[in-house]
Amino acid sequence: MVNLAHLIPVFPVIAFVTNILFGRKLRKSSALVSVSASVISLCLSIYTLIWFLKGQGSYTLFKWLIFGGTSLNIGVIVDPLTCMMLVVVSAIGTLIQVYSIGYMKDDVRFSRFFAYMSLFMSSMLGLLLADNFVTLYIFWEGVGLCSYLLISFWFERPAAARAGMKAFITTRIGDTGLLIGIFILVFSAHTIYFSDLANLTDARPLFTVAALLIFCGAVGKSAQFPLHVWLPDAMEGPTPVSALIHAATMVAAGVYLVARCFTFFSAHGPALIWVAYIGGITAVLAASIAVVNNDIKRVLAYSTISQLGFMMMGLGVGGYSAGTFHLMTHAFFKALLFLCAGSVIHSIHTQDIQKMGGIFQKMKATGTTFVIASLAISGIPPFSGFWSKDEILSEILHNGHPVLFTIATVTSFLTAFYMFRLIFLVLFGRPRSEIHPHESPGVMTVPLGILAVFAIFIGLVGSPFMNYAFQDFLHLGQAHEAGSPAPDYLVMGLSTFLASFGIAIAYLLYVLNINILPQRIRQHFAWLYNLVYNKYYIDELYNFLFIQPTLRLSRLAFKFDLGVIDGTVDNIARATVILSKIASWIDRYIVDGAVNMTAKVVGLFSLTLRRIQTGYIQTYLLIAFFSLVIILFVKLIGGL
Amino acid sequence: MMNGLIQLLNNYGLSYDIIIKASFYLIAGLTVLFALFVVLSRNIFHAAVYLAMGLLGIASVYLYLDAEFLAVVQVLIYVGAIMTLFIFTVMLTSDIIDTGPISGMFSRISVSALASLAIFFILTKVITMTAWKAVLPAEAAVSLSQLGKSLMLQYALPFEVISLISLAALIGAIVIGKAEKK
Amino acid sequence: MIPQSHFLLLGAALFSIGIFGVFTRRNAIGILMSIELILNAANINLITFSKFSADPDASGQIFALFVIAIAAASAVVGLCLVISIYRTSKTILVNKINLMKW
Repeated sequence: MVNLAHLIPVFPVIAFVTNILFGRKLRKSSALVSVSASVISLCLSIYTLIWFLKGQGSYTLFKWLIFGGTSLNIGVIVDPLTCMMLVVVSAIGTLIQVYSIGYMKDDVRFSRFFAYMSLFMSSMLGLLLADNFVTLYIFWEGVGLCSYLLISFWFERPAAARAGMKAFITTRIGDTGLLIGIFILVFSAHTIYFSDLANLTDARPLFTVAALLIFCGAVGKSAQFPLHVWLPDAMEGPTPVSALIHAATMVAAGVYLVARCFTFFSAHGPALIWVAYIGGITAVLAASIAVVNNDIKRVLAYSTISQLGFMMMGLGVGGYSAGTFHLMTHAFFKALLFLCAGSVIHSIHTQDIQKMGGIFQKMKATGTTFVIASLAISGIPPFSGFWSKDEILSEILHNGHPVLFTIATVTSFLTAFYMFRLIFLVLFGRPRSEIHPHESPGVMTVPLGILAVFAIFIGLVGSPFMNYAFQDFLHLGQAHEAGSPAPDYLVMGLSTFLASFGIAIAYLLYVLNINILPQRIRQHFAWLYNLVYNKYYIDELYNFLFIQPTLRLSRLAFKFDLGVIDGTVDNIARATVILSKIASWIDRYIVDGAVNMTAKVVGLFSLTLRRIQTGYIQTYLLIAFFSLVIILFVKLIGGL
Repeated sequence: MMNGLIQLLNNYGLSYDIIIKASFYLIAGLTVLFALFVVLSRNIFHAAVYLAMGLLGIASVYLYLDAEFLAVVQVLIYVGAIMTLFIFTVMLTSDIIDTGPISGMFSRISVSALASLAIFFILTKVITMTAWKAVLPAEAAVSLSQLGKSLMLQYALPFEVISLISLAALIGAIVIGKAEKK
Repeated sequence: MIPQSHFLLLGAALFSIGIFGVFTRRNAIGILMSIELILNAANINLITFSKFSADPDASGQIFALFVIAIAAASAVVGLCLVISIYRTSKTILVNKINLMKW
């Protein structure tokens, strides 16, 4: 068997180039190009998985830079984490691209959309395959770029353009941290390869700093607090984009990075604890905002942020497999949720859930898959979310973090609550405005169905029913604690109870007493409601602290440029004009004057000397004689 | 009669020497005066007359130098012939006798005066500087026969040349003076 | 009796006056007359040196004789020229005789 892993990102790149160059000619066929490239990547990913299981591992491709005695090699990493992520990303990517054929059907820049999608696919897959920080960073920036391009895809809308900028700049802050972390690592450890990270176990403070900075990059990309502000605004982009990038794949890159550097992080304790606590804060913060939001996509965006926090919590307490497991299951049901939301939006052309209601009758397929996804995310057994979330809760409890455990359980409750709030308000009850739902075409509903299947069953690979095959798979090739953990019935019971409780409360509020109770609560806790509804005023705070000063600084710089620099140029010009006037005066009166004066002097002399030339012989004689007299005189005086 | 005159004068204390000296200075002064009038007088006729007088004075000076023949020749040729010629020409040509000064005249006069005064001064200086040998006049007198002899013998060639020159002048004068053919 | 230098001084004086006249007079005949004065001054010098030389030397007087002859010839030719010019230009003032002047 030959190694083909490095070809995985190549086909989407070819699709990107083709769609960019020939998009206008291909039109609707550009989707075919992208989807087929995606399918090829999927096949290659599955092949690589099998290849890995047959005992192969990472390999080097070529030498890139050679300096001094060392050389920078570009290689491909093939380990359980990467293989799993490759399959997940390419599978979900393919399904979403198929869905987009229907969703973006009427868009003018159809082929451009698929070009960007392919570019994103190749960047993400490349990121997963990178075996050193440098290559990772290259693709990291690549996915950031695609995210920007796709968020502001409908750039005629100012909100979309602003959202793209916000996403790019916010993740940039994280990326800078990542870059500095990479530099520190190179400087102190002289390596960039992930494989060397396991060896850096000595507790130097520089390593902790590097780890924290690398985590910065993850905070930015995975929208953790305090860099979470871009993700809700990124919902301005088309829904397939939200599904792929901001639910399933790109935001997972941050979690992937932490998982990839897990041994490094765990060797330097404070770093990992930071990860956990940041994750915790993010989770509960985002969940609370999701409870009161009225935009269907934004609820899901905050849900994503919250779930990513959950994953970080899981990794942070030491649960490598827990966090990774949740990453995989979350990718499926979150993508499904977004696609369902997209289907609803496509049908009734509004995103305000206060205007929706009673859609289930007309959109059975969408509605059913929506409910399945919500059950999965709430953690109801035997759906996939239950197994992974449970594992995280178990890890937190057993590693002795009571505070984090409380946070996690509260978040789980809130998750169930707001998801079913969404379900009840959108799908059930009576329509609250003039909407005419109709089911979406097959090209959209078939991916929904496929994802729903995954959302139901994928969790089982990590469950006791399959003897924790997933966890074993993850630790393949490394030494790990022997045996599989016993099922933790306490935690399982607790989490199920909380989830059901959340659903029940949501039912109480939004089905039974829909017209009375929510309003009463809002009125009673008006101040709290306002605080949470306005996202804890974090955006306003950032605006005050950072954006306004930056704008003021740029305005100042502009004034400086205009006044001082341009002013200097103007003044130099004025000075030059004055100088030239002086020079011309000098030239005219002094220089020309000198010349004129010379001429006048010559004229004067000649006028005087002219008088000798009288034309009369007598004068000439006189002159000659006078000269003789002078000579004689001189001789006489001299001789005397 | 002369002796009687000289004796008379001797009685008044005037010796022969003093008479000769005094008369010489008188005549020399007059000559110079006449020469000055020649160059300074506006009227050309007057100038010609003054020239004649001056030439006569010079002839007298020759007498003091024991050159009797030359004095006579001077009077005959210079005063008699040449001055007659001058007077003739003056009569023939000058319709306008008196002429006024022209604009550029003043500086010329002053510069010429300066030049002539300068040359006079130089010559005077040279003359007075030189140590002339004192010679008794009686021994150095040249006789007429001596003059005739040297003219025919020693200076025969210049004598012939002079006659040629005179001939040439004669012919030239006639040619130039001929009236134009109409 | 009368020293040599006095005669020479007389000659010098006449010479200077004649020079002055050459430069100054406007009338052509006047210039010729001044030239005659110069020649005569030269004659005085010649004869003085002839008399006050060591041997009785006649060359001075002979030379003076020749000078007189030459002066006569030149005066003749000059005056003829003056008359000829007078015929064409009707003037004998040297500053007015400028046929060849541009």
